[in-house]
Amino acid sequence: MKQTPDVTLNFQHIFHQFEHCVDLVHRTFPEIHTDILYFPNLISKIAFSSMILEPFANIQLQEVDELFKQSQFVEVFHSKEAVVGVLEGKAAIFNQGKVFLIDIYGPKDRNIEQSGTETVITGPHDSFGESVSTNLSLIRRRLKSSHLKVIEYSVGEVTKSKIYILYIDGLANMNFVKELEHRIKIIEIDAVNEGGVLAQLIEDKPNSIFPQYLRTERPDSAVSKLVDGRIIMLVENSPTAISAPSSFFEFFSSPDDYYQRWTLGTALRLLRFLALLITITFTALYVSVTTYHYEMIPESLLMTLVESRNRVPFPPVYEALLMETMIELLREAGARLPTKIAQTIGIVGGIVIGQAAVQAGLTSNVLIIAVASSAIASFVIPSYVMSASLRLMRFGLIIMAGIWGNLGLIMGVALIIIHISGLTSLGAPYLIPVAPMKGTDWKDIFIRAPFSQLKNRPYQTKSPNQVRQKIRK
Amino acid sequence: MSRLLAAIIMMCMLTGCGTEQRILEDLGMIQTASYDLEENNKLRVTINMPVSATDSTIKKMLLTAVTDSSKEARLLFSNQTELTVVSGQVRNTLFGLDLAKAGIHRHVDTLLRDTSMSLGVKVTIINGKAGELLSKNYKQHSETGQYINRMLEKRGSGNGIMPSSLYQFTRDYHDDGIDPIAPIVKDTGEDAEMDGIALFQDDRYMMKIPAKKALIFTLFKRNLKQGEIIIHLENKKNPKDIVMLSNIMSKRKVKVHHLANNRFKVDISASIRGSVLEYTGNKDLVKKEQRHKIEEEISQYISSQGEQMIKDMQKNKVDSLGIGQYVRNSLSYAEWKSLNWRNVYPQVEVNCHAKVLIKNYGKYS
Repeated sequence: MKQTPDVTLNFQHIFHQFEHCVDLVHRTFPEIHTDILYFPNLISKIAFSSMILEPFANIQLQEVDELFKQSQFVEVFHSKEAVVGVLEGKAAIFNQGKVFLIDIYGPKDRNIEQSGTETVITGPHDSFGESVSTNLSLIRRRLKSSHLKVIEYSVGEVTKSKIYILYIDGLANMNFVKELEHRIKIIEIDAVNEGGVLAQLIEDKPNSIFPQYLRTERPDSAVSKLVDGRIIMLVENSPTAISAPSSFFEFFSSPDDYYQRWTLGTALRLLRFLALLITITFTALYVSVTTYHYEMIPESLLMTLVESRNRVPFPPVYEALLMETMIELLREAGARLPTKIAQTIGIVGGIVIGQAAVQAGLTSNVLIIAVASSAIASFVIPSYVMSASLRLMRFGLIIMAGIWGNLGLIMGVALIIIHISGLTSLGAPYLIPVAPMKGTDWKDIFIRAPFSQLKNRPYQTKSPNQVRQKIRK
Repeated sequence: MSRLLAAIIMMCMLTGCGTEQRILEDLGMIQTASYDLEENNKLRVTINMPVSATDSTIKKMLLTAVTDSSKEARLLFSNQTELTVVSGQVRNTLFGLDLAKAGIHRHVDTLLRDTSMSLGVKVTIINGKAGELLSKNYKQHSETGQYINRMLEKRGSGNGIMPSSLYQFTRDYHDDGIDPIAPIVKDTGEDAEMDGIALFQDDRYMMKIPAKKALIFTLFKRNLKQGEIIIHLENKKNPKDIVMLSNIMSKRKVKVHHLANNRFKVDISASIRGSVLEYTGNKDLVKKEQRHKIEEEISQYISSQGEQMIKDMQKNKVDSLGIGQYVRNSLSYAEWKSLNWRNVYPQVEVNCHAKVLIKNYGKYS
């Protein structure tokens, strides 16, 4: 279809759009009456010289038309297209009233590095980076299938960030894909800088304390989610991939579970659920037992506890909140500071404050143990987002335990369970396979059964192709 | 949102269900309580509470009150100390022999009513004054209350004296056809000692099984997983032959035979397996026939001792072995109801059959 040329499609108009952009470069080739506009910081120097400089320098005027017929030169018919093209790292070429774009995008990227937040002991160590093309390549090179479909969207009125929706045709349920597309389409926001922002924009219940989409930095993990029939979202300039739909229990599994033998994987899974229990209830239990339920303390522990509590001037609930806040301060300080200073913080906080607080009689040493073990337990949980949510919840439970004792603790836990049973992730139940009950999925949730047992894809994905494998034994 | 609001409001209302704060270090937690009978039917209650002093040494606090009831005593204790006296950590209750003879159910019942009291709290009889024993400091041992408690708790000794809990005591008290029992402890000056098993008729102390024979009593009362006993064989040639059976495992069986005129004959059999750790006689344990001979002698000894014990019990009209339960189980409800077991029991013909098997007899012999 021949398009009618845009009247504003001329060099002057487009150049005017980029007024006061000192980083824009305008080059002229007077012999062939050609102007070029591009951002040198967005392009690859090598591509620029091989695709533009060399051909343009060695060309005669009459051969120019022939040159622009080559496929890398894409003619545009609207000035807006040209502007967007330049912004995306293409070079705009103006020649005798015609405008061409040539893609020479190639800014400096971070190398593929190890993941900072999700490390494994065995298995691949590469992780997503900021470059979305690298991220896509990390997935493509693991998933050699033409069924891997990629849909592109642009979100952010100002930033125009690209979002890619990845799914495997035939494995992913198209209802989820459609729902996701719908949710992304209706986003109207000025900027989406990170996967975490996108995840919040498309959540079912944004006010919930629980993350409703699993985020990962690991391409191997993203690929396994795709193969499960889930959908992966990648955001430009963000190393975070979002997987949807997600279940609560997914946050407690790590790729390591699958890379090691199943007995060990199972033990690790169970350990993490134990960590979940410890991290949300241990300090609260200390508070409720020392405030209300002295009957529960075993005889041999009784005097130790009384002694350690004896010099503490505060009721247990304030004592616990004080120490928990301290731990959170330490953690936050450690996260914000440069690595070298963070180590000092660990020593100052862990040893000096911990030891001194007990000696000064501000806290009991049994509480220090409780607080420290629940902090450690929270770091066992592989997903940082989930572990942060659980840590926050702990404060609520401590307060409830301080007011109502074990009754409050139980009510708090009940409230949490009630809340998460009602949550959905992209419309799919969040607490699946426990509520609604799906017993066959339990062997890949609470334990990691041997691969011969993992015959079906997770029920949550509602995959059109349920069968994962047909191993005959 | 409204549902969340409703939940929060409901939780606030539930504060009424919460008990008052009982912060650990402000509590005086009774560890052992002892009860003695005083003149004019008064009750002397002595309690001990471990208390942590600020210089982090553990002391005990000993309080005594003479009152009409045990709960009244607790009120008096509260007036004597800055700590809130609570009973949720009671491990052991000691009853003086005088009180035990008068009946202890009234006091046990009070203890059971207290919801913070565990059903596992032990009931122990003190041969003498319980309060005096609890007030004593045994130099070689840890704090007295804890010392008595741990002594009763250790199961390794296998002397057949099992601790009796509030639950077991009241269950046996209320149940038909069985009478409760409790261990007896006495003061021997430097130490306290397990003196035997106290047998009750309903809630009144009637007789005692001495510690030496406690294991034989237990062999006929229940199945045993561990035990040790020294047996003096009545041998004509050498009256001082001693066999020590240890690692005893036994199974008890009771059979009830109905005789004419509402009379019963009961066979209690215990099959006992144990290893010989000590034998001072001149028989060769390696030889099968001689070993069987010893087994036979031990069996006879245990059976005759058991029968003697049961005769004593029948004389005192205490059915601590629970023979009545087996008789009851062999009767219809109406038949049992029409039977006055307390009166029938002394006439029951009880036979004890012990069958001993020596599992092994040491490394060399």
